[in-house]
Amino acid sequence: MKTSSPLISLLLNWRLHAIVVAISVLSEWIGIQSIPVANAKLLFLPLFYAFALCLFLNPNITKFSGKILTKKGASIAAPLIVIGILPFIAKFGTLIGPALPKIAEAGPAMVMQELGNLGTMLIAMPIAVLIFKMGREAIGATYSIAREPNIALISDRYGLKSNEGIGVMGVYVMGTMFGTIYFSLLAGFLATTGWLDPRALAMACGVGSGSMTAACSGTLASAYPTMKDEILAFAGASNLLTNATGLYVAIFIALPFSEWFYKKLSGETASDLTTKEAN
Amino acid sequence: MSTSIENTLPHEEETKLTFKENLIALAVISLVSLVSNWAGTGATPIETLPAMLIIYAMVVAGLVLAKMIPIGFPAVAWVSLVSVLLTIPMSPVSEPILAELKSISFLAMVTPILAYAAIAITKMEVDLFKRSGFKIAIISILVFTGTYVGSAFVANTFL
Repeated sequence: MKTSSPLISLLLNWRLHAIVVAISVLSEWIGIQSIPVANAKLLFLPLFYAFALCLFLNPNITKFSGKILTKKGASIAAPLIVIGILPFIAKFGTLIGPALPKIAEAGPAMVMQELGNLGTMLIAMPIAVLIFKMGREAIGATYSIAREPNIALISDRYGLKSNEGIGVMGVYVMGTMFGTIYFSLLAGFLATTGWLDPRALAMACGVGSGSMTAACSGTLASAYPTMKDEILAFAGASNLLTNATGLYVAIFIALPFSEWFYKKLSGETASDLTTKEAN
Repeated sequence: MSTSIENTLPHEEETKLTFKENLIALAVISLVSLVSNWAGTGATPIETLPAMLIIYAMVVAGLVLAKMIPIGFPAVAWVSLVSVLLTIPMSPVSEPILAELKSISFLAMVTPILAYAAIAITKMEVDLFKRSGFKIAIISILVFTGTYVGSAFVANTFL
């Protein structure tokens, strides 16, 4: 294969892929482990070790890793996952297809849970505004789960240099760094408590990005091995729906509601906010 | 935390791949997945190659559709639609596809993606993380928890 463009030679940088292969194989060998917490369990999956180990090998994070992989070599990883998630999404789709009749039965739950993520604001917004005294950053930070379409919307409405933009970027970065792992731990934990229907937990896994959905539903599937196919199908369908409708929910419901809610909350602490927003 | 936001824009370091570059990237990722799947399930890359080729074809079909039908649906949604429609019970190719894809573990495909994701974290993100610190970390956890529990609760009510 001729490596005509510099981007292609960067794509074929063997060091990056060798690291990923080595770490993935090691992680798969360690396998699924769990730690008991009260009456529930925290589940650790190979994807978790892979993520943690590669953080240490990221030249932007640790110094010694610069010897193994240059920053330039690592820089191709970002565009690579955008496309790299697609084979996995295709496999995911083949779990949804056969289960479609079952998913259709759960139709109302599936559609309504897309709105369930408005619950985000009910908890996070008051704490951001009333306790942390955040200004309009709170709107950007709490109106959504801050994935790419949500950033695009905030960028379009307010600009990314605005307070709202800073808020959405903060949560976005947290999500990129820890969201996937956090979702996986949270889902696994809730699963072992037995409070909610596994299918409901599975649908909720679909609220974020593809890798969040994968990590989250993968953990659930390990917690309920007998319902594995159904869980993956429900999570995948929910994520597909989020991908298709998420932006519209954000535009027409989440952002207007968040503006309104922010005004309500900040009205109570108006004096604090005017001083805060002045700087 | 609001002064130097200029260098925290997400598209600052974003590299868009061309269609050809996407195909190459896909091929590399597919090979990496095959090895990860081998470690996870014991199925050798030679056994699982046909399954991966089917997946590859689905992704390419999705990418082509996203290009040809520009109605704002992201490529992920197209890829998903293609693979869902091919495997619904009414589809004539559903059974052979599913039988072939059984050899590839869903979880073993995710492991390398998260490895790439950890390496993809940029200097800019590490800096922003250090700068915005504690408050935004707490708010983020509340956002993730609220979104997840909110959706799960609503879904549970309607099931």
